[in-house]
Amino acid sequence: MNFELSSDRVTETSPLDETSLLVIILDTNPGQRILRENPHILTQCTDSVIAFANAHLMQKAQNKLAIMACHSKISEFVYPGPGKPLDIRQVDGQYEVFTLVEKTVKQNLMKVLTSETSTVYTESLLAGAIAMALCYIARILRTKTPGLKINSRILTVTGSSDSASQYMNYMNVFFTAQKQSVVIDVCALDQHLSLLQQGCDITSGLYLRIPQIQGLLQYLLWVFLPEPPVRQKLVLPPPVKVDYRAACFCHRELIDVGYVCSVCLSIFCKFSPICTTCQ
Amino acid sequence: MADDEDPKEYRWETGYEKTWEAIKEDDDGFLEASVAEIIQRAKRKRQQNKQVNSKLGMMRHLYVILDCSDAMSAQDLKPTRLLCTLKILENFIEEFFDQNPISQMGIIIMHNKRAEKICDLGGNFRKYIKTVNGLTKTALIGEPSLQNGLELALKSLKLLPSHASREILVIMGSLTTCDPSDINKTISSLKHEGVRCSVVGLAAEVHVCRQLANETGGVYNVILDDSHFKDLLYQQVDPPPAAVCLESSLIKMGFPHQMIVEGTEEPLTMCMCHVDSSEEGSKLTTGGYYCPQCYSKYCELPVECRSCGLTLVSAPHLARSYHHLFPAASYREMEFDNQSLNCFACQKVFLETDKQIYSCSNCEQYFCLDCDIFVHDILHTCPGCATNPTTFQMFQS
Ligand SMILES: [Zn+2]
Ligand SMILES: [Zn+2]
Ligand SMILES: [Zn+2]
Ligand SMILES: [Zn+2]
Ligand SMILES: [Zn+2]
Repeated sequence: MNFELSSDRVTETSPLDETSLLVIILDTNPGQRILRENPHILTQCTDSVIAFANAHLMQKAQNKLAIMACHSKISEFVYPGPGKPLDIRQVDGQYEVFTLVEKTVKQNLMKVLTSETSTVYTESLLAGAIAMALCYIARILRTKTPGLKINSRILTVTGSSDSASQYMNYMNVFFTAQKQSVVIDVCALDQHLSLLQQGCDITSGLYLRIPQIQGLLQYLLWVFLPEPPVRQKLVLPPPVKVDYRAACFCHRELIDVGYVCSVCLSIFCKFSPICTTCQ
Repeated sequence: MADDEDPKEYRWETGYEKTWEAIKEDDDGFLEASVAEIIQRAKRKRQQNKQVNSKLGMMRHLYVILDCSDAMSAQDLKPTRLLCTLKILENFIEEFFDQNPISQMGIIIMHNKRAEKICDLGGNFRKYIKTVNGLTKTALIGEPSLQNGLELALKSLKLLPSHASREILVIMGSLTTCDPSDINKTISSLKHEGVRCSVVGLAAEVHVCRQLANETGGVYNVILDDSHFKDLLYQQVDPPPAAVCLESSLIKMGFPHQMIVEGTEEPLTMCMCHVDSSEEGSKLTTGGYYCPQCYSKYCELPVECRSCGLTLVSAPHLARSYHHLFPAASYREMEFDNQSLNCFACQKVFLETDKQIYSCSNCEQYFCLDCDIFVHDILHTCPGCATNPTTFQMFQS
């Protein structure tokens, strides 16, 4: 894959009274295939995400950042994280905020990783993590200085597969994001994610399934660093065809022909004389 | 979010006054309650009183007949009757399609004794909003003909299958109608075809409008001011009782997906919606929606497949209204007693000033008031439930 970039990209800036709030959701669930096969990949993903997050902060002094870990049983904010900010001594004067991000993320992530007991749920509840991120963004927007424009987006970095069991939650978070003008970006590390891809399409975000995990940081920087308002000017991967199949209520399987109740709009994969949802 | 809370609108929202009284009775809460908080609490109360409505009655077919006669240039509504109507209508259309995902709407205008169909029945709300916006420059001339408007709508509603609900909504500024023949005949054929006709009058009570609504099972109202107008129009968003009483039946539908053949260019094809039209848009294109049964292509959803008859809809379109069926679990209000350091969802740190916090009955996480409102008003998914493997598929039963 080739991404052409206009040379003036770095100088491309938005007006001063506009800032960007980025919430990154990193899927840390040990049940993901790539992590089961090679647990060290998590370190690499974390480092890439931190470097990417710092690049976001570096783009503009007022840019805001939050990072969440979506684990198998809990989802948590690892940056800014609970409690007071860590006390970071100035390392080289200029970049203490970047050290702060790295130290905070790693410390809080460690707590999340060690909190899990033996049973692992292989399904990462990404829709729930996105729901938390939307509440967080709604609070930031509620408490912002009047007149300040904040463009918010949520970037999900995951190697999980998406399952139709979260269909309802996914649709709710996608429509909410769309209503609130929050862009959903997805970087898929392993499998193709058809539901999350719908979310990107609904919210005008970018969906990218990266061909190899070694290049993660490059992909993040090239594709996901530019803010949505700037993106129209860049040559990014062409929009992918989105699969808009429905999930049946009976088995939560994706279907392309089904039976819809004329009163409550429930979808079933097989015909039955009465609707089990509303009768 | 806060800026769309025009306090004026709250006159029509019963929850407001009630909460105000409740807070006045509460002797220590009153002094500290800010206006914003009062409004938030009113919202919370309204949410809790909202009845679970799982009857969406999806097969609604509604013609909006809009008076564009001279009477619409009056300035008793600001800036003019027409412009005020178009603004409210625009929001109505969006809300209508949000709540009635695969219903169809058509628009007819009446001026100079003639009726003109400016939008056929269809389900693409963006098209209707665009059309409505385009009407701002319409010449407001002559008298309307209610009969011509009704006849034109009836002609197209007649052709629909019997399980479809048929409705007409007239927005009438004029106090007179100039009809070619006896309008009572038109009213009885509307009644005969089961077309429910409602009228919103912008000026004063008109006998023939009352008669039309009464005979066909619709409602007739005359507005008091713009807020009342909006309120009356929005009452039409909910499916009429007739549609609610319809027996539910399962209808076969297709959820088209785009054909993806890895590594190949998609061929240029003609969509079925434009195959026999010479208007612009009837070009060969890539992309579009393919019928999963016969692979005919369409450029717009929802649509009934012209070659195999399957109703084609987009699944997310239906999913927009599922929160009516599966609302998020309700939260219990409780005194704040250091149960948690911060709100589970938005991470707001609970302070002494947070007298009440909210706890989810399923996942038992704690939330702030703002998140309680946000979750039940907009999100419809509890962040606590949705991040927990044991509760993420639970909804309020
Ligand atoms: Zn099924
Ligand atoms: Zn049903
Ligand atoms: Zn077909
Ligand atoms: Zn909160
Ligand atoms: Zn819950």
